Amino acid sequence: MVNVLTPETQERAAHGPPSAGAAVDGRGRTRQRRRQAVVAYLFLVPTLLFYAVFLILPLGFALLLSMSRWAGFDLGDIDPVGLDNFAGLFADGSTFLAPILTNTLLFALGTVALALSGSVVVATCIDKLRFQGLWRTLYFLPIVTTVVAVGNVWKYMYEPGGLVNGVLNALGLGSVAFLQDPDTALPAVVVVQAWASVGSAILILTAGLKSIPESYYEAAALDGAGPVTVFWKITLPLLRPSLLFVCVTQFLTGLQSFALIIVMTKGGPGDATNVAALEMYRQAFSYGDWGTASAAAFALFVVVLAATLAQLWMFRRKGEDA
Amino acid sequence: MTASPSRGRGLSRRHFALALPSALLASGCAAPHRGTGRPGDPIVLTLLSHYASGELKAALQGPVDEWNATHDRVKVRTKAVEFTDLLTTVMVRQAAGQGTDILHPYCLWNGQLVRAGVLRPAPPEHAEEIGRGYGAAAVGSASVEGKVYGYPTEMQTYALYYNKRLLRAAGIDRPPRTWRELEDAAYRTARRDAYGNTLVQGFGLSTYDDSTTVGQTLALLNAAGGRFVSADGRSTAIDSPAGRAVFDLEHRLVVSGASAPGVNVYQAFASGQVAMVVSAGWWTTNLKGLMGKDYRDVGVAPVPVPEADDRPATLSTGFMLGVNAAAKYPSEAWEFLRWLNTEKVRVKGLGKSAGTGATATRMSSLQVSVGSLTGRADDMRTLLGRGGDPNLRPFLDALAYAVPEPNVPGAQQAKSLLRKNIEALWTGQRSVDEALRTTRRQVDQEVSRSW
Repeated sequence: MVNVLTPETQERAAHGPPSAGAAVDGRGRTRQRRRQAVVAYLFLVPTLLFYAVFLILPLGFALLLSMSRWAGFDLGDIDPVGLDNFAGLFADGSTFLAPILTNTLLFALGTVALALSGSVVVATCIDKLRFQGLWRTLYFLPIVTTVVAVGNVWKYMYEPGGLVNGVLNALGLGSVAFLQDPDTALPAVVVVQAWASVGSAILILTAGLKSIPESYYEAAALDGAGPVTVFWKITLPLLRPSLLFVCVTQFLTGLQSFALIIVMTKGGPGDATNVAALEMYRQAFSYGDWGTASAAAFALFVVVLAATLAQLWMFRRKGEDA
Repeated sequence: MTASPSRGRGLSRRHFALALPSALLASGCAAPHRGTGRPGDPIVLTLLSHYASGELKAALQGPVDEWNATHDRVKVRTKAVEFTDLLTTVMVRQAAGQGTDILHPYCLWNGQLVRAGVLRPAPPEHAEEIGRGYGAAAVGSASVEGKVYGYPTEMQTYALYYNKRLLRAAGIDRPPRTWRELEDAAYRTARRDAYGNTLVQGFGLSTYDDSTTVGQTLALLNAAGGRFVSADGRSTAIDSPAGRAVFDLEHRLVVSGASAPGVNVYQAFASGQVAMVVSAGWWTTNLKGLMGKDYRDVGVAPVPVPEADDRPATLSTGFMLGVNAAAKYPSEAWEFLRWLNTEKVRVKGLGKSAGTGATATRMSSLQVSVGSLTGRADDMRTLLGRGGDPNLRPFLDALAYAVPEPNVPGAQQAKSLLRKNIEALWTGQRSVDEALRTTRRQVDQEVSRSW
């Protein structure tokens, strides 16, 4: 074993045992390090302040509100109620767990399932086409279109006498009240949300497809593998990191979004398309019940966290690191 | 080296850097909405309303400009947001200590605002004046637990709009007066194509929004002698024979295909695809614009009652102008509101029918100019005159017998819960009994929480 002296120890050895001068040097270095730390923190202050003001403070305030009653008008009127708001959310007869939270999960799951499968197919097709940039741009267009416009256009298409029912009628089928029937309203909105979010998924997946080495495909071709085998055995497994990213982000977006629902159905008919984020918004801004709204926000936060961790765990089990 | 001659006189970058924050601070501290605070300077009152654009904005600005031109000590400045943002804006401004001196809330929110300490009760002399000058429905809308909180402004009563041409085509020569006639007319006028698409709705039930869905149902409930909320405001009263009768009627109309709740009734009626619908008076102005010459086919009648000898009743909704509990100059604000809402002035631009010396309050003139009503029946008779739109007459008559929309604490949530249950009934998710029971349970729970 070779003993290697660090430059600092070598220097100290050359000068003999520690002296008063060395102690002074040590103190100087400590001072310098401390000064450097102070400077570093000073540089960090704007970022830390930003997080404190826009993340920690609102989070703390929301936590306080979730255990209080507050009408939203006067900060002096915040009235602590312990866990009553949470108990109210999950009390017998409350609509929060079912159908609201159930709708939220179905909406998010449905959106992810549709958008993911659709985007995998489309991205794979685009990867084999010419003018790939053009196709990607076309599919990306819904992302840059305002939700209000998307929601209203689809609403008109779904209406009795609209485009979708027109096609059904042309095929000799009867009209369907997509957004008015509680059985079809949620799936109808899920389709629109998936359509609107498929563009970003395609963008990520096409990038993922580009990163798969061509040599794998060449080897598969030499072995005589067909396109389906290549897709299932090479493309899909190697696309898993991109799929994980799309899956997690789309699922989180789905759990928290309500803009499309408010435009298309306002949560109706009844509570058929009501989701947690919309209910929170109504509780706070329409009914002035900020306590319940904040409690619902924390309940949704727990669901989001659990769903995200579960997704990460599932993908990591399969050997992929997000 | 000599200094540049301009340097000594002009504003250097350093001076500018020092002066800018000071100027900004000074202008911020001046608190423009409260006036400068210097002795002799005018008091500036702020007024927040939803009269944010078009003719509504101009209609309110007219009297405000007149006040500002004729009053030196107190000036009024208006702020406006869209109706959908009004409650949120009131909340946020109030929480931030930036509440306006005068508020123009939808009366449905009054219980919530009073409970939160936002609204100041009207001083006795104003409360007395309001009680004397307005109809019972208007005073009821502007009151919470019997205490008046503001001057009623825009009042809406509900009546039955009908398409004369569609009724005539079905062999019906007058609007229905009873529910039996209503149902009969609805079945006879409704038409669908082979694919189930609605061509004509006999009676337009609509899930368009809270106000449409709930407004129609409550107007019919009131016509049947029922109430949504009990007299003390602490529980719902809809689970009653009258409530059951209304839910039964609506359920029958939907199941039979005479009503198609998914259709946007506001567009469909204007396109001649709805024979009858219950709606508020503001719609007449919109219909005139949308329908053009076809508006002559539109008639308005009182909301039908269950039996011919029942007393008429309907729903009324409204807005009011009240003073913020945090207002620095409440007496000045109340004085402005009295001037705007009760002082009678000569009416300009009226037809000969009204006479040359006709007078009305500024608020009544303002509301009529935008196709709305106030709760002052005398003003309405003067302003609408004999030559006005006859379709407005039933709404005006209804001021005498309309039931104000409940405005207890939690009223907005109660209304939303009722809408959800009505929709669940219309779409077959709940039976009449279940819908009534669920409404009662949910509304009772929420209303009791709000007290």
